[in-house]
Amino acid sequence: MLSLRAAARNNGSPVSLTRHIRPVTRPIHTKTVTDADIARLAAKPLHPLTLADLCKHGHPPLSEQALFNSANFTLAILPSRLAHRIQSLRALPYIVVANPNVSKIHDNYVHSLSTLLPIAERKIESLKDEVEFTAVMADLVQTHSNTISILARGFLEARKYISKVEVTRFLDEHLRARIGTRLIAEQHIALHFSSKPHQKLSDGHDDDKMDHDSYIGVIDTELKPANIIRNCEQTVGEICELKYGVRPTIDIVGSPETTIAHIPMHLEYILTELLKNSFRAVIEAGTEKEAIEITIAPAPASPEETKETKNKAGQMAHAEVGAISNYDQGSVDYASGSNKPDISASANIRPLREATPGVTVRIRDRGGGITPENYEKLWEYGFTTFNEDEINEKVSGSGGGGGGLDVMSGGPAGGSSLAGLGYGLPLGRAYAEYFGGGIAVQSLHGWGTDVYLSLRGVGKVD
Amino acid sequence: MLLCRRLPLRPLQRAFPRSQALTRPYSASTTPPWRPSVILDEWVQRESRPISLRQLTFFGRTLTEARLLSSANYVRLELPTRLAHRLRNMQTLPYAALTNEHVAHVYELYYRAFELFRKVPTVQNLDDNERLCEVLRTALTEHLTVIPRLAMGILEIQDSVSGDECDRFMTTLLRSRISRRVIAEQHLALTETFNSPWHFDGKMSSVAPEDEFVGEIFLKCNAREIVEKCAKRARELTSKAYGNKVTIPEIVLQGHLDTTFPYIPSHLEYILGELLRNSIQGVVEQSGSSQPPPIEVLICEAAQQVIFRISDRGGGIDRDILPYLWSFAKGPRRSKRLKNLGKVPRLAATMQELQLPPSIPDQTENQNEAETLGFGGSSLSSLSARRPDLRLGIGLPMSRIYAEYWAGSLEVHSLEGYGCDAFLQINRLGNKNEVLSTRAAMDGV
Repeated sequence: MLSLRAAARNNGSPVSLTRHIRPVTRPIHTKTVTDADIARLAAKPLHPLTLADLCKHGHPPLSEQALFNSANFTLAILPSRLAHRIQSLRALPYIVVANPNVSKIHDNYVHSLSTLLPIAERKIESLKDEVEFTAVMADLVQTHSNTISILARGFLEARKYISKVEVTRFLDEHLRARIGTRLIAEQHIALHFSSKPHQKLSDGHDDDKMDHDSYIGVIDTELKPANIIRNCEQTVGEICELKYGVRPTIDIVGSPETTIAHIPMHLEYILTELLKNSFRAVIEAGTEKEAIEITIAPAPASPEETKETKNKAGQMAHAEVGAISNYDQGSVDYASGSNKPDISASANIRPLREATPGVTVRIRDRGGGITPENYEKLWEYGFTTFNEDEINEKVSGSGGGGGGLDVMSGGPAGGSSLAGLGYGLPLGRAYAEYFGGGIAVQSLHGWGTDVYLSLRGVGKVD
Repeated sequence: MLLCRRLPLRPLQRAFPRSQALTRPYSASTTPPWRPSVILDEWVQRESRPISLRQLTFFGRTLTEARLLSSANYVRLELPTRLAHRLRNMQTLPYAALTNEHVAHVYELYYRAFELFRKVPTVQNLDDNERLCEVLRTALTEHLTVIPRLAMGILEIQDSVSGDECDRFMTTLLRSRISRRVIAEQHLALTETFNSPWHFDGKMSSVAPEDEFVGEIFLKCNAREIVEKCAKRARELTSKAYGNKVTIPEIVLQGHLDTTFPYIPSHLEYILGELLRNSIQGVVEQSGSSQPPPIEVLICEAAQQVIFRISDRGGGIDRDILPYLWSFAKGPRRSKRLKNLGKVPRLAATMQELQLPPSIPDQTENQNEAETLGFGGSSLSSLSARRPDLRLGIGLPMSRIYAEYWAGSLEVHSLEGYGCDAFLQINRLGNKNEVLSTRAAMDGV
């Protein structure tokens, strides 16, 4: 029996669905994937995913038909995304993909595609099919939950055979695409569980539906960043206390009651990473008594303005305010060259159809700033200021009694340790940029660091 | 000067014309006349030699006649070389661009200056130097109108030249202009020092221990003082512009207040003036007349750099102009900017009469009135002292050019709906060279 998301709720921040899905008892059918399949699927262009896309099937509980729509939508776009990933991996140097870790990831993707192919030809029109499909989604999410740490290990081992620039380029794209794939899958799973027509809903958590009125699948339409910040403050603070004996504090200024529509898991990941950096910096600089100042600034909404901007921007798509580029979502496929356009060309997907108030979160700490040498490498995957021994421990997977700050990077990235591997900032930025936001880091060497996290909300959803 | 004779000579192009340059009427509708390109070719072949603040400082510290003459000859050759590169840039713009009256005006000014400088013979004694200085002063004054005219020209030629190319062109030209003016003004200042009654040939030049100037470079620019000075001026100007009913926000300093570093004060004052004025405007227009939130300036000192962070709660930058923040040419408010720019050349022109020698550090104290824009000969001062309600739209990109000139940087982060943070980074190591755009770099772009 697959358990409910509700059972996983924890301090107001839902933890990833996949943690509590027990292995499926029903066997999943697979079909051998041929090169022709991959080529065919990868030839299709990818359209940018918007939060509106994910919400368009309606507010849960979904009717049967709406659920089928969601399943069919997912089924329509997933196989080609997986095919693109496989192709990108195959375009890497042979010796890199031959590395057991990287090769495992490649195999995972092929496996997932093989589970989708049998159903890809059909449309989902019955409840039985839909349940089977959801099981396939769950398998997908489960299989790929440790991708990042395994890939990281793989690239570290193969670092002699591939340049940093190429690694960064590949990972930037791959991880962004991965965000999308997981999101699509997890969204469908979440919608499935929050909808009525399932006799298999055990533990009857009907009352939770009242609480979760603001949720549409994994999206919380009334997400309060201040809450997430406080939660992360707790978690990271505890680790600091464990490791360093002191716990820095946070002051929230601006408009703490701001809410936006976004994905709590993502925000939690980003903020955790940013706070880890800030907390560690202030502790090592000795300024932990001074509160870290976090400003929450909601952007004003103005529908007329947005429309006007779109008209004025004209042909220059990248100047169009709010357009999501294929780069942000990892759809460019640099390595395999299979998907050319840099800019979202699809006229059907307009991310900011209507006013989308976003929010900017500014984190100001007095941790002494970042040295100019380190600043150059800030966005590199695998760059970290932890020392060699700690890194080796993590890479070999033995991090038992190791440093405290690595134990809690669960959430969307999977349960294994990431910190110290140097993935926090670039990944955090990938999450932020996925829907058109971003992270900017400004260092005042000798004083502290200012980090600007901007997030865009989803358009009006009925 | 064989080549000269083949050219159709105009009275202007002989020897060292002075007031003729200023009073010669310019016909606004003509495209610049054709001139043989072979002279320019010669000068374009030369590479310009970049300089650093440190070099300028050390050079000027121990002044002897020999050094002064050596400086004069450096100036004599560098200026026409750099001008030639820029002229060639302009010549390779689409023809349509040069039919624009403003662009043509600037082109003519530069060509005349090029002709002037290239004819200066080798400087062999102090009299020759004096003649050179006279030419420099004339050119510096005459070219005060360049920035506003160029800015207007750029806005007007959008149909024939793309926005990006315009931005690149403008940036290159402005950088080059800074470099030429620095070289010229520095030499003038050194001559001034050399000629002053308390200078002893060969001794370390020292005016007074606390204002250590080497030419235009202030060795001990104190961060706090300069911010306070700019803050005061910005508040006065905006107060006049907005009237009595509006409370101007306070400007509060914190951080490493005793930091000092070598810099050219007029550059820094321009940048800080622009940033502070933008912040004040933002806050005033956002909060109205009630208690405006203060603007916080943080000074942060590190081994290699000094960073100024200017934080305001002025509502941030409008979404529609955010992508064009650093552009001279693009953006949705072009026609307004063009109109306002048209009002500035008149200001720049009248202030020539109030020229003061560049080596006096305190000259800028006189510019309290927005109307009388009298002070030192840099056109920067006219731009930084004009009324704040005249939005020219070039403050930020110009400030960035100045900041990057000595290997610094300028960055702005906007918290939409809340406020803005501007980060100005100054390089303390005076040995970073000026950022030159050589011909090769331009061609590669």
